[in-house]
Amino acid sequence: MFKLNEIKELIQLLDETSVQEVEIENEGSRLVIRKPGKAETVYVQAPTAAPVMQQASQPAAAPQAAPTAPAATAAPEVDPTLHTIASPMVGTFYRSPSPEAGSFTGVGEKVTHKSVVCIIEAMKLMNELEAEVNGTIVEVLAENGQLVEYGQPLFLVKPE
Amino acid sequence: MKFQKILIANRGEIAVRIIRACRELGISTVAVYSEADRDSLHVRLADEAYCVGPTLSKDSYLNLTNLMSVATLTECDAVHPGYGFLAENADFAEICESCNITFIGPSPDAINRMGDKSEAKRTMLEAGVPVIPGSDGIVEDLDEAVKIARGIGYPVIIKATAGGGGKGIRLAEDEESLVKQITNAQQEAEKAFGNGGVYLEKYLTGMKHVEVQIIADRHGNAVHLGERDCSVQRRRQKLVEEAPCPVLSPELRAEMGAAAVRAAQAVNYSGAGTLEFLLGQDGQFYFMEMNTRIQVEHPVTEMVTGVDLIQEMIHVAEGNPLSFTQEEVKINGWSIECRVNAEDPERNFMPSPGKIGFYLPPGGPGVRVDSGAYPGYTISPYYDSMIAKLIVWAPTREEAIAKMKRALDEFAIEGIHTTIPFHMRLLSHETFVRGDFDIKFLEENEV
Repeated sequence: MFKLNEIKELIQLLDETSVQEVEIENEGSRLVIRKPGKAETVYVQAPTAAPVMQQASQPAAAPQAAPTAPAATAAPEVDPTLHTIASPMVGTFYRSPSPEAGSFTGVGEKVTHKSVVCIIEAMKLMNELEAEVNGTIVEVLAENGQLVEYGQPLFLVKPE
Repeated sequence: MKFQKILIANRGEIAVRIIRACRELGISTVAVYSEADRDSLHVRLADEAYCVGPTLSKDSYLNLTNLMSVATLTECDAVHPGYGFLAENADFAEICESCNITFIGPSPDAINRMGDKSEAKRTMLEAGVPVIPGSDGIVEDLDEAVKIARGIGYPVIIKATAGGGGKGIRLAEDEESLVKQITNAQQEAEKAFGNGGVYLEKYLTGMKHVEVQIIADRHGNAVHLGERDCSVQRRRQKLVEEAPCPVLSPELRAEMGAAAVRAAQAVNYSGAGTLEFLLGQDGQFYFMEMNTRIQVEHPVTEMVTGVDLIQEMIHVAEGNPLSFTQEEVKINGWSIECRVNAEDPERNFMPSPGKIGFYLPPGGPGVRVDSGAYPGYTISPYYDSMIAKLIVWAPTREEAIAKMKRALDEFAIEGIHTTIPFHMRLLSHETFVRGDFDIKFLEENEV
């Protein structure tokens, strides 16, 4: 039988990885922990005699049906020490100055205040976006050619 | 041409209204919102929604670039501007056209011609529509103003030509007052509207504000849908509207309606529009201004005519002829609208923004509520204070008043102050019930 604190530790461990599902059989007990992304359920089955214990943890905050804006609003928690470069306008996000050229920047690259990180095209006008911080790009949050709205996070930067 | 997708360039209850009309017509909807409006009802109801800027209107709902960006990138066929914001902005209408997106409203030219209030008056005169005695266009200098005022007779109103909606208006009781105020008025107008031109009008008393709804297609057809009495005003902002007007005879209705249609045709108008008149106790009416957009109080006209004005706006913008002729328009019954605002009537209508707790709109036969509010919604201080429009319909005016009182009584809004108590008192006021109140009613009476 798995002890409660063992199960707790297992769940915690799972949370820190991207592993989706774990199934363990031990001394006749079977434990399945599954992460479908929206809900977590934990089943514990003990052999015959002992009563079947079923624990279902609460599903994570119920998402709402709104099929509205790009997924940016449902983003997972962001490390508070990172700086977010957000779009100051509505337009099309481009990672390079032209279709043939290479990207302005990418994950792991260093940027300074004045570094151009992308172009937002609005009404046929190309607007170059500057990083406005010194640091390193940790993540690119929007896709090339995607429509981005005002305030939409585009890059995560680890400031110097 | 059939629209597949429309962008609603507005917020609040009118955005919800337009989305509803589109839904029924099978048209996809795109909503835009400022950061402050992220939780708005119109955002939730639309098929797609995009944030177009921070809180300030000028950076979001008036942000032409961001709006057009959304419209073009989401492949909208048309834009409905609602009222306020860019609804009467000829530049916006023009930019839409140049992007091959239909502006659901009149042409930029019609907007300009009616948007310039003194030019509009001139157009009306030529169309044989009676106008308020006043200056012939903008007054150039003080001497001219004094001369004209002496000719018209005091009191005299100073109006900004680029104003409208009750803004940019000053009263001069005598020559001394005129001299003092005219320069201020010009400066104010320059600052508020970017155009310092002012014109003068005779100040008429005992007038009712009676406006006529018209709708026109792009084939030269224009019809009127009857009038609305909007004389219950506080600081020139309408609080209660009704259709029809309690003092109008069928003959006068036909005369005003015909004048309104002439006015629309004079500027090759298309779409929905409203001609505002002042109606004297002697039955004489005078053109005040034309609003080249849908108005807040359009529901009362919808209730008495059975016409869905928003859908008809879309219908004519698609290039179709009007769905009905003048003969087919019938005014049936009586409708009243009360604007329920987030204001404290006990404290001089001080704005009362905040989070709405319990919220239960009234129901039952003949009751309609147009609103963007819901339980837990926060009325922010950044835009207008409207919570909801409560509209009733009944066969007679007396029954409509009784129904409105019943509906107001049921309407539960907790967490903020509302003007519901004020409306309750108003509906019982002897003068209101009589129906002959004029635009000074609230100024001169305790309600």
